[in-house]
Amino acid sequence: MRVLSTVRFTLLRLMRNYIVLLLLLAVPIALLTVFSVILSGMVDEAGRPYFDQTALTMVLAFQLFGGSTVMSYLNEDLFARNRERMTVAPFNRTLYAFSILLAGSAFSFLLGAAIMAYTRLVLGLVWANWGWTLYLIALMAVLSSIVCVIFVCGVKSFSTAERLSEVYGVGFVLLAGLFFPMPQHAVFEFMGSYGNPLTLSVGAVRAVEIGNWNEAWFQANIVLAAIGFLFPVMLVMGRRRLR
Amino acid sequence: MTLASMQSVLKRYGSCAALDYIDLEIHEGEIVGLLGPNGAGKTTLIQALTGILPVDQGRISLFGDSRNPFSDANKQKLGLVTQEIAVFEELTAKEGLEFFAGIYGLRREEKKKRVAEALEFVGLSAYANKVPHKFSGGMKRRLNIACALTHRPRLLIMDEPTVGIDPQSRNHILESVQKLREQGTTILYTTHCMEEVQEIASRVVILDQGQVVKEGTVQQLIETVRHEETIIFDVADPLGIPLRQVESIAGVSQVSVSGSRITVISAAGAGNLDRILSVVQQHSGVLGIQADKPNLEDVFLTLTGKQLRDREGSR
Repeated sequence: MRVLSTVRFTLLRLMRNYIVLLLLLAVPIALLTVFSVILSGMVDEAGRPYFDQTALTMVLAFQLFGGSTVMSYLNEDLFARNRERMTVAPFNRTLYAFSILLAGSAFSFLLGAAIMAYTRLVLGLVWANWGWTLYLIALMAVLSSIVCVIFVCGVKSFSTAERLSEVYGVGFVLLAGLFFPMPQHAVFEFMGSYGNPLTLSVGAVRAVEIGNWNEAWFQANIVLAAIGFLFPVMLVMGRRRLR
Repeated sequence: MTLASMQSVLKRYGSCAALDYIDLEIHEGEIVGLLGPNGAGKTTLIQALTGILPVDQGRISLFGDSRNPFSDANKQKLGLVTQEIAVFEELTAKEGLEFFAGIYGLRREEKKKRVAEALEFVGLSAYANKVPHKFSGGMKRRLNIACALTHRPRLLIMDEPTVGIDPQSRNHILESVQKLREQGTTILYTTHCMEEVQEIASRVVILDQGQVVKEGTVQQLIETVRHEETIIFDVADPLGIPLRQVESIAGVSQVSVSGSRITVISAAGAGNLDRILSVVQQHSGVLGIQADKPNLEDVFLTLTGKQLRDREGSR
């Protein structure tokens, strides 16, 4: 009950954190608007508009950075500035950390949904399956939060944790070949097919567009399995750090 | 009744003992002033007493409970004003207090009432709906105190609550501490500001190098150095004064230099003023002489051989 009373305030803090809103909402919206102009009328070999693919990839790619807010609040409240006051208070800090994780993931998901809504309502993009795309945004948001919690609990220096979270986000964007094509090599191909949450999520949405639900579930379940594998790792590291 | 106690508490950082077999008791209704220079172990003592920092050895008791002193029931009766300002920058003053009232289990109506009371108490009612990043340093400090008050703790621990603030805010905080005591709150107040302790503390504990050097009321402590007098010379060339020669005068126990000021502690009634003055005058022009009655600063200097605050240091 005591931890439950804090969720409202965590959400308020997230909503008033203008840097987060700028990076996870304003920047993607601005970029998508620019791309919609640049790529207007351009189609690929299959006749699909280039902008559709770009929009999908960007909506999912920004979820890779959603966990940084969770990491920052955990650090501030439990390991840095507010640590002493929280330690002295009679409440469950592990549960509080979990509530930040949930609130942060939910917020990141909502921002992703808001970007999707913008592309539909303003840019006129037609999403093949809203529910499925939202499901993958949710998976990406939760995965990013878990990874960032592992970083902040796993290393002593918060700056190092921040750099690691950037490596996680930028690294998977690079590996997805968004900046430049990756070399034809077994390692990169394996990563693209099974190890990169961004390409897996994009692939799962694309598979649904062509009606291949088996492939879609397969790719989405790999992301889900990563969450299932990393969740206990996060629990162990979190408990160790909060001891 | 003893609300908190430490018995032979040892806390080491490597080979350095931050708390060196400390014994301390805090009784109900007291304002205990914990006085010591930077690095004396004040914050470590507070962290040990509140369970933030595990100790290597010794026994800590809170509210008579030494088996599980940091149980939720005991934490409920404890308040901590941290040295670092720990408020939420994105939440308004009122929301921030509601957050802390919530984690202490206060229900809706009671929470509203206590939050309003705490804001009123620290003089921030008019700023209830403002976010702290627009506050002055003093206002943030006061909000920091209010965060520890919504649950009405029996024992309030304040770790240097007046660091870096203007005199008005400082006076407001000191008045608030007195008011809290009148309302029945027991307070452990740490500072390196002697004047604050002299103003509010019912008992003073002097800490240095992780040890309790002396404790008692302000008067009791001053009595311990009344047999000494402090003579302060303002001189034109402090570096030219041969301090060893001054120290060698019979009855002189301490000589220190701070800027253009030379402070000499001598046995009371030893009639040393003329002797010291003649040595000083031989080497520098004397701009002024002042003889002080002993105060807590002198007590500290006598007991530890150091200035209480970080000044230019003594030679």
